[in-house]
Amino acid sequence: MSARRPRDFWTWVLVAVLAILAVLLVWPLAGIFKASLTDNRSGAFTFANYVRVLTQPFFQTALTNTLIVGIGGMLGATLIGVPLAVLTTRFAISGRNFLSTVAALTLVSPPFIGAYAWIMMLGRNGFVRAAFEDIGIEIPSIYGFFGIILVFSLKFYPFVFLMTSAALRTINPTLEEAAVGLGAGPARRLFQVTLPLVTPAITSGALLTFVLSIADFGTPAIVGGRVRVLATTAFNLFTSEMGGNPGLASSVSALLIAVSAAVVVLQRWWAARRNVESALVRRPAPRRLGPLASLGAHAACYLIAFAGFLPSLVVVWTSFRKTSGPVFVPGFGVDSYAKILREVPQVIGNSAIYSLVAVALITVVGTLVGYILSRRQTRLSATLDAGLMIPYLVPGVVLGLAFTVAFNAWPLELTGTATIIVLMLFVRRLPYAVRSSATILRQIRGTIEEAAISLGASPARAFAKITLPLMVPGIVSGALMSFITAINELSSSLILYVGRTMTMPVRIYLSVLDGEFGTAAALSTILLAATGIAVYTVLHVSGRNESALA
Amino acid sequence: MARVDIEEVVKTYGNVRALDGVSLSIASGEFFTLLGPSGCGKTTLLRTIAGFNAHDGGHIRVDGTPIDDVAAHRRDMGLVYQDYAIFPHMTVSENVAFGLVTRRKPRAEIEERVRRVLDLVQLGPLADRLPQALSGGQQQRVALARAMVINPRILLMDEPLSNLDAKLRIELREDIRTLQRSLGITTIYVTHDQEEALVVSDRVCVMHQGRVHQVATPPEVYARPATLFVASFVGAMNLFADLAVDAAGNVTVAGVRLRVPALAGRTRATIGIRPEDVVLDGPDDGAPSLSFDAKVERASFAGRELLLRLTAADSTGLAANSYRPDPSAVPQPGQHARARLPLSRLHAFDPATGARIGTGA
Repeated sequence: MSARRPRDFWTWVLVAVLAILAVLLVWPLAGIFKASLTDNRSGAFTFANYVRVLTQPFFQTALTNTLIVGIGGMLGATLIGVPLAVLTTRFAISGRNFLSTVAALTLVSPPFIGAYAWIMMLGRNGFVRAAFEDIGIEIPSIYGFFGIILVFSLKFYPFVFLMTSAALRTINPTLEEAAVGLGAGPARRLFQVTLPLVTPAITSGALLTFVLSIADFGTPAIVGGRVRVLATTAFNLFTSEMGGNPGLASSVSALLIAVSAAVVVLQRWWAARRNVESALVRRPAPRRLGPLASLGAHAACYLIAFAGFLPSLVVVWTSFRKTSGPVFVPGFGVDSYAKILREVPQVIGNSAIYSLVAVALITVVGTLVGYILSRRQTRLSATLDAGLMIPYLVPGVVLGLAFTVAFNAWPLELTGTATIIVLMLFVRRLPYAVRSSATILRQIRGTIEEAAISLGASPARAFAKITLPLMVPGIVSGALMSFITAINELSSSLILYVGRTMTMPVRIYLSVLDGEFGTAAALSTILLAATGIAVYTVLHVSGRNESALA
Repeated sequence: MARVDIEEVVKTYGNVRALDGVSLSIASGEFFTLLGPSGCGKTTLLRTIAGFNAHDGGHIRVDGTPIDDVAAHRRDMGLVYQDYAIFPHMTVSENVAFGLVTRRKPRAEIEERVRRVLDLVQLGPLADRLPQALSGGQQQRVALARAMVINPRILLMDEPLSNLDAKLRIELREDIRTLQRSLGITTIYVTHDQEEALVVSDRVCVMHQGRVHQVATPPEVYARPATLFVASFVGAMNLFADLAVDAAGNVTVAGVRLRVPALAGRTRATIGIRPEDVVLDGPDDGAPSLSFDAKVERASFAGRELLLRLTAADSTGLAANSYRPDPSAVPQPGQHARARLPLSRLHAFDPATGARIGTGA
């Protein structure tokens, strides 16, 4: 027996990344599972926490509510997203690119901003509600299931929309023409040929919205009213002023992970089966509609896009309203911005620094990991691939709890530091950059790098000189996507922050709870602006492909 | 310039032996071709020599020194790929200069050598273009220049012409051969195209299922195929499989009995003849041969040759080619012809092992 592949640069990178994931993911989550099986007082091994969570009505209600908002958000997003996709891909709708861009912007704006904007409109003192009350119409309260599902539907529909339109655009038009040739009317063709062909894409998008809905903390916390879900329950149990209950909070977290894991596995399974693409001969030509139908279709499309984007508009508008102390007065001004610069300039800096540092780490590690996953398929790299699924499965609240439990004592005493927030952002958003880097690598042939090696370049040099420059577009969009999600991160920051490490999303959340809508609006506008610039750049870099964001 | 010795090299992927104990010696300056169908192990062997596949057993030596543990980038071998593998973000001259820059050559020397090699492959005027502006043939010339400019000890080419159209393939293979000869670089060339292999190589190695079937010069491979596989892969051959041989060395083909001296003492044999060696309605020169009447099933006129498909009375099939056919006298299906198989043109193989026994005479 002779030559084996020598342990080169990439072997060490792989080992290092596995070690990082072990410390930042496996260990904290193991801590959660351990805590869920431990009696808080005696420290003894017990199933009591799980028994309570599964039998007490208090927790059963939270689980039921979680499933209700998950299914509600999923159905709402699907019922909005699929028709919009069919309309914009099959019929002549002007401003199709504009609609896609609006959908993309809706997608990336943080959900808690949506929740809070809807309160501004339909909350107890909401201006829309007040306007309707003036003319004698009573609008149902936004608080509760109605509000949560409304926010999720309008926030998450772009996932279903973008995935379904991408699939609709790759159906061979001859299939639909064949259906017409066989005598199928428009409705029959839509329901029996077109939609079944894109079912995998729809299902995939729908399950994704379900996972996002059950993991979301900000929306139920802000508009949930008395509706408790698992995410808010775990948070309250952990941070309760009566000292908290780590055992119970941990078992609620484990339950939440179990639900999302089940659905993510289902979603992956569906996604893996979505190879319905036929050999594409030509793109389907959008049909012209009669004047009335066209008007209706345009109205529907623009209404949906407007409704999804409305929260952002309301937030920006609110941020420029004149204030006097905590209340709004007629007229416009920059009082709210002056106030945040005066009172909380630090949170803006914190958010910017934490996100940028995390994104820098994510970009470097994500690029290397993406490379390993697409070019070095070994048993170790398969382990890594599986490990990177974990951040998708673990809701922010749970990861925040896990970090607090794991990093509050020697050897890694990090609670209350900026480091713990940066590490959390890093590990939570790493998969975005990995995916983006692996995707672009699939478009770069491996022989190019081998050619460089055969010309005498070491593996590291061949990567740096040849492959890396070609990966730049993918790396940039991966970095921007992780920046967008990092700067908008609320749930885990809310658990990990202390006064001096507060971030913008946390400040917005606290301001909303305190009714300081001006401050919240001004901070949210800054977040939206940062997000908007990042989105614009992604679209620019990826050559206008909104599904790059999904 | 270097000599390469491959000794008992083994490479397995799970249960598949991609290289099953391959031993070869390639002389310094030789143009050596690995020929075989896809999956035969030829590319695996090439990549193992280049250092991109670790082999599980055996040794590879260059000029007597084992290189089994030498990393790919230290092996000093130029590599040319089927998909060109041109660096898309670098100009033609930057591509060609890459190996020299890596070797930290002085700038003036790099410029000079790049210019010379680009002139050699007739790409001088395109030096500052980006690869996307180049045709496939031009890109492959860049790849060739890039591999040769470093004066590698060995030049490795993995189906370099497969992505090009037929006319360009012929043009470029002549260029490759001329360049290789003038520079005298030891070259190992992988292809599945037997004609290409015969045209360019000093010696050809025919591989099948991870094993070497024959290593010989092109005329030798064609005239004396070492195994049944080589016989059918390189050129075409009519095979009369697994015939019974009597004690006197007689076999029966198409109902006709014939004594084949080479088969004396055997019980079974497979007999083959190349289509162009079958004589149709020709004058009998008296040499020992096997003759029978056959019916024309199909006649395809291909310009410089005529391809015939015939069947004997006992429905034995036979392919026969004739060169420079008379376009006004193409045989019609149903016509009869006298087929003669000269004994000296017959190839005999052992049906159990596939190994060559000899010619008929």
